[in-house]
Amino acid sequence: MLEILNGGTQSTLQDAGRPGHRHAGIPSGGAADRLNFALANWSVGNAWDAVAIECAMGGLHIKFHKDTIISICGAKMWAQINGTSFQNFKPTSVSKGDILTLSYARNGCRAYIAVAGGLKGDNFLGSVATYIPAKIGGLDGTALKAGDHISIADNPYGPTRRFPNGYVPRLSQHIVLRVLAGPEFEQLTPESQRQLFVGLFEATAQTDRMGARIKGANTKDIRILPTEPISMVSSPLLSGTLQVPPDGLPILSLIDGHCTGGYLRALQVIRADLWQMGQIGPGTRVSFRRCFAPEPLQILKGRNAFYGAEYGGLIDGFAF
Amino acid sequence: MSLPPLKSRPQKRLQARPSTRPEILPYGDGAFLVQFQTQHYDPNVTDRIETLKVALQKSNDWVEIVTGYNALLVSFNPQNISPDTAVKHLENTLRTPKKPLKTGRVIDVPVCYGGHFGPDIDAISQSSGLSTDAIIALHSQETYQVCMMGFIPGFTFLSEAPKALHHPRHATPRLSVPAGSVGLAGWQTGIYGLESPGGWQIIGRTPSRIFDSTRAEPFLIKSGDSVKFTPVSEADYLKLDNEAIASC
Repeated sequence: MLEILNGGTQSTLQDAGRPGHRHAGIPSGGAADRLNFALANWSVGNAWDAVAIECAMGGLHIKFHKDTIISICGAKMWAQINGTSFQNFKPTSVSKGDILTLSYARNGCRAYIAVAGGLKGDNFLGSVATYIPAKIGGLDGTALKAGDHISIADNPYGPTRRFPNGYVPRLSQHIVLRVLAGPEFEQLTPESQRQLFVGLFEATAQTDRMGARIKGANTKDIRILPTEPISMVSSPLLSGTLQVPPDGLPILSLIDGHCTGGYLRALQVIRADLWQMGQIGPGTRVSFRRCFAPEPLQILKGRNAFYGAEYGGLIDGFAF
Repeated sequence: MSLPPLKSRPQKRLQARPSTRPEILPYGDGAFLVQFQTQHYDPNVTDRIETLKVALQKSNDWVEIVTGYNALLVSFNPQNISPDTAVKHLENTLRTPKKPLKTGRVIDVPVCYGGHFGPDIDAISQSSGLSTDAIIALHSQETYQVCMMGFIPGFTFLSEAPKALHHPRHATPRLSVPAGSVGLAGWQTGIYGLESPGGWQIIGRTPSRIFDSTRAEPFLIKSGDSVKFTPVSEADYLKLDNEAIASC
């Protein structure tokens, strides 16, 4: 049993999500940074998609009511156990009565705390992923708060694992996302098309699991060609889409983003880079680098081969 | 430093083509849009999209199949299916002529129009010159096609409302619109499945739970269904609402 002493900015139970329900308005959701989530589970010996805690920004305090093994991967939040510093990416035993405290994220935005055996939460459509707008999954469909108790699941788990050289993802306060032109990219002015690739953007305070409003740090607002209609018929939308509303401040749709949208879809983040969006918080600098087919597929295959055991990498069953 | 502008490629726009001949557009590296050219509700396009959806659902290639007013989205795992194979699959499905199927159900949705359940009905009354009763009669006489679900779970995007009721969205969206609210936006009409912020003109509210995660079937309405609104009194609304609470 884990007891939440302080929920922090926003901490939720997450797993690999519930794909296949966008037609009903339910995004697949799950861990915003799928890679660090999978690595946290892998390092404590769990299946990569076991339920773990996602902590955004920091401030989470947990008391353990049972001896267990935990691992923290992702954003560096200067974790401490009983006041002694606790290293990320290093599975460690904790004892009954220990208190884990996370300070604020100084590099990256989200950290994943995996517990040997996994955690229990409410299942909806085959997943425990917390989706706050519809109050589903997690604990009562909402963020963790002081007084919550989380049960440790009894899924089988193997021995703890150490990270070989080169497998710990580097986090940066400047995230470069590789993108393809979106379905309505050509409706932007040529100057704005160029700005999207040469400009430096910054995520504003309006940034959560649903989306990030981004603002050009050294660029002009992004403009739509005057010959084009400023709003279009609502149409299906994916996570990783950069939409441009008439005010010129783009919105990057994140893991829990809306399933439909009415603004033009300028860019689409490639599949292999979607995990990086989980590390975007208020103030994170973001830039976009354009890709052309078949580059995204080559990158995806390379990454899956590096991390997924099926292709020779580390983690059984994992793919981006 | 000034860089030369990117060369804008000529736009691949299909003109003078019948509205039911779509084009296949890539959407990122794991999805395609089957895009129809209409910018409005077109029953032929909706039929075509629905038929296409049913045909595509027979395959395991697709992770998501999402219908819209003028587009259908399919997503797939590019590591399992190459984009070329996915396009061929879509083209073949589009080529195979299919009779439009009427598979959907007609869902009866009771609505209490006006009053505090429909605060914007007076605005519609002013713009259309119709009495509240005439608006209710007009809005509830139609059987609407469900064209799309989302942007929040249970939000039901319906086919075109009668012309007299067309009304722009609020310039500033409300911070909170209650679950079950029935609204108008431009030519669209629809139902808020969950409480959410929103800019639609709200003319009534249904006691039916459009989305209920605790129910065995969480979704009352699916794309492909039709919706028929039945006006109910406030007393009936409260009775139905209490029944819905009791069955939770």
